[in-house]
Amino acid sequence: MKWLSLEATASVAYKEFLHIYRDRRVLLLVLTLPPLFTLLFGHAFETGELTGVPSLMIDRDNMPRAQEFIDIISKNKTFQWRRGSPDTKNESDLLAHGVRAALVIPRGWDESLDNGDPKPLLLYLDGGDINTADAVEGSVRQSLGDFQLKQRDRMIETLPEEVFELGKQLPVQIRKRFVSMMEMWTVDRKVLYNPKARVIDFVVPGIIGLILQLLTVTLMACTIARERESGTLYQLMVTSLRRREIVIGKILPYLAVSIFLVAVIMAVSRWHFGVAFYQPAALAVICLLFLLCSLGLGLLISAFSRTQTQAIQFSVFFLLPVFVLSGAFAPLEQLPQAIRYVSELFPLTHFCRAFRLVNMYHAPAQFYVIDLIVLLAGALITFLGAAFLLRRIEQ
Amino acid sequence: MRELVIVLDRLSKSFGDVHAVQDLSLTIEAGTIFGFVGPNGAGKTTTMRMLCGLTHPTGGDATIEGLHIWTDRQRVRTRFGYVPQRFSLYRDLTVLENFRFFGGAYGVPGAELDRRIERLLRVTDLQEKRTTAAQSLSGGMRQLLAIGCALVHDPSLLFFDEPTVGLDPVHRQQIWNLLYDLSHEGKTIFVTTHYMDEVERCTEVGFIEDGRLLAKASPRTLKSSFRTRLLEIDVEPLMAALVRLRELPELFGVSLRSGSLRLYARDSEKLLAKWRENWPFPDLRLLGERWVEPDMEDVFTAYSQGYHGILKPST
Repeated sequence: MKWLSLEATASVAYKEFLHIYRDRRVLLLVLTLPPLFTLLFGHAFETGELTGVPSLMIDRDNMPRAQEFIDIISKNKTFQWRRGSPDTKNESDLLAHGVRAALVIPRGWDESLDNGDPKPLLLYLDGGDINTADAVEGSVRQSLGDFQLKQRDRMIETLPEEVFELGKQLPVQIRKRFVSMMEMWTVDRKVLYNPKARVIDFVVPGIIGLILQLLTVTLMACTIARERESGTLYQLMVTSLRRREIVIGKILPYLAVSIFLVAVIMAVSRWHFGVAFYQPAALAVICLLFLLCSLGLGLLISAFSRTQTQAIQFSVFFLLPVFVLSGAFAPLEQLPQAIRYVSELFPLTHFCRAFRLVNMYHAPAQFYVIDLIVLLAGALITFLGAAFLLRRIEQ
Repeated sequence: MRELVIVLDRLSKSFGDVHAVQDLSLTIEAGTIFGFVGPNGAGKTTTMRMLCGLTHPTGGDATIEGLHIWTDRQRVRTRFGYVPQRFSLYRDLTVLENFRFFGGAYGVPGAELDRRIERLLRVTDLQEKRTTAAQSLSGGMRQLLAIGCALVHDPSLLFFDEPTVGLDPVHRQQIWNLLYDLSHEGKTIFVTTHYMDEVERCTEVGFIEDGRLLAKASPRTLKSSFRTRLLEIDVEPLMAALVRLRELPELFGVSLRSGSLRLYARDSEKLLAKWRENWPFPDLRLLGERWVEPDMEDVFTAYSQGYHGILKPST
C-alpha cells in the first residue's frame, strides 16, 4: 500500500474546499478582511512620529524674543498649540484644559537670557503615556536648541569691533578652542536598513502574521471539531481513509486560501504603501513554514476540542498572548528578558524576525536559519500531535 | 454451510468498571440479514462500533472475512459499509458531492465511480435530487442517501444502526425493500432495530442484554422457544384489569394487544383452569379467552424482562 493515496487525499481536500465555498458568510469574511485590515493597520502605523499633540502655551513674558521662540516651536509638527491667557492660574490642570502638555514662558525670561542667569521654561507633561511625554519633551528641547542657535548667531553678528580686536591678541590655540566651544556639536547620522524610517516596512510582517494567524488557526481549529459535532467524523473514520490522508487533505485547501491571502496582503502593501519585497524565494519559504505551523496549531486545537465553540475559545486564548508578546508591532527589546523567552515560543515571533531580516536587513540565510528551524519544528510537532490525538478518537 | 462473514469469539468491551459487552460469541453467515436486538444500553451500538474498528475490544477476538477487526482494521474497512444511527453525511454538500466524496475516500477509480453513482442514484431513487444539498432532503431521503454512500465502494457486508428510526411507514418499507435487494445480491446485512415487525424480516436474530448474548436463532425458532402458546383474555373494564393482573404473583407480566390482554404465565393452562373454577375479581368481567402464537414482541419482552420461566430451557 502506498504511503499516501493522492486520490483519497484529493477527495478530502475537495470536500473541505466545498465546505469553505458553501459557507458564504465566512468566505466573504476571509476574502474581505485581509485587504481591509492591511489598509487599516497600514495607515494606523504608517508614521511612527507623534503629531498634533494638543498643548497649551502660556506666555507671561510677552516680549519679542518670547514671541520669536513661539514662532519656532509653532513650526514643530509634534504640537497642536493653543494659546492660554498670561493670567491663567491652573496651568498644571492639563485635564481641564484638554491638553497633554503645557509650556509656560515665565515673566522676565527675555531679560534673564541676557543677564547671565537664564530662567528655565516650565513644562507640564501628561505622564499617563510615557512615550508621548518623552517625545514632547524632546521636541521642546529641540525647538529651544534651534532658538538658542539663532540667538548665538545674532549675538556674534552684533559683537562690537573691539571684541574682535581683543580676541586677536589671544593665542591661536585658545582662539580655536573658543570657536569650537561656540559651535553646536553635532551627530552625522546614517540610518541603515530602513533609511526612510518607515514604520510600515517594519509592521508588514506583523500584519501578515496577525491576519493569517487569526484566520488559519481559527478556521482550521473548527474543521475537525465540526465533523465531531455533526457525527461525520465517525463516518470519515470507517472509510479506508488513513489519518494522514484526512489531515493532509484537510490542510491543503486552507493552505491554498492562506497563500492567496498572503499574496493579497503583499499586493496591498506593495501598491498602496510602496513596501518593497526582496528575495521572494526566501520570503516564500518563511511564509510557507509559518503557515504550516499555524495550520498545524489549528489542527491540534481542533483534534483537542470536543465542539466548535471550544475550538474557538482555545484559539482565542492562545492568540491573545501571541498578539501582545510576539513583537509583531513593537520591538521585542521593549519586553523584559524573562518575557522574551516566552515570546520565543510563538511562531509569529520567528516569522516576524525572519521576514524582517530578509526584507529590511537583506540578511543572508545564516541569520534567520534558526527561526526557520523553529517554525519547521513547530509544524512537525503540531502535525504529529494532531495525528496522535486523532488516534485517540479511534480508541 | 455457507462462508462465515463475521466471527465473534468472547468479544468484550469495558469502559472502566462498566462492561458494555461481555464474552459475546456468535457467527454470521454470508447473505444473512442479521437483526441485532436488545433494550437501549444493552451493548448493540458498542458491538457494532467494535466491528467497524471505531473502538478497540478490551477482550476476546473478532474477524470479518477472516481479518481481525482491530489489528487489520484498515483492510477490514474496505469490506463493509456503515450507516450510523445519526445522519452523518455532509449537510452542506449535494447528493452527488457526498457520493463522490465517499467514492474518492474509498479510492473507487473515476469511470467506475461514475457508473456506480448512477446506479446508486437509481436504486435510492435520488436521481432528481442529485444537485440538492443533503440538508434540504427529507428524513427518508437522507437515510437513502446514507445507505447509498455506504454502498459506493461495493462492500460485501453492511452495518445499519437503527436505519429506519423516526421514518414514516412508506420510507421504512422502501428501505427494507432496498435491504432485501442487497441481500439478494449476496451481501450480508447486520442491522440493529427496535421495531419488532422489522425483526420479523431478518433471517437471523440475536438478542443482547446487559452486554450478553441471550439467544441467536431465526425468528421462527425464537418464537417457538416458548413452552406453550400464550393465553389472551378479554376483560372489562380493560385498564383496571391490566393494573390488577400485573400484580398477580402467577404472572410475569401482561401486555395489551388490540383490546385484549396477553398473559405471560409460567403455566397458563393451570391458571385458566383455576380461573374457570373461581374468577377472583368480582369487579372485573371475563368475557372470553383464546390461545395465540407468540410473536417477536413477545420474544423481545420475555428476553428483555427476564421471563425465563415461560421459555424453553437453553435456546
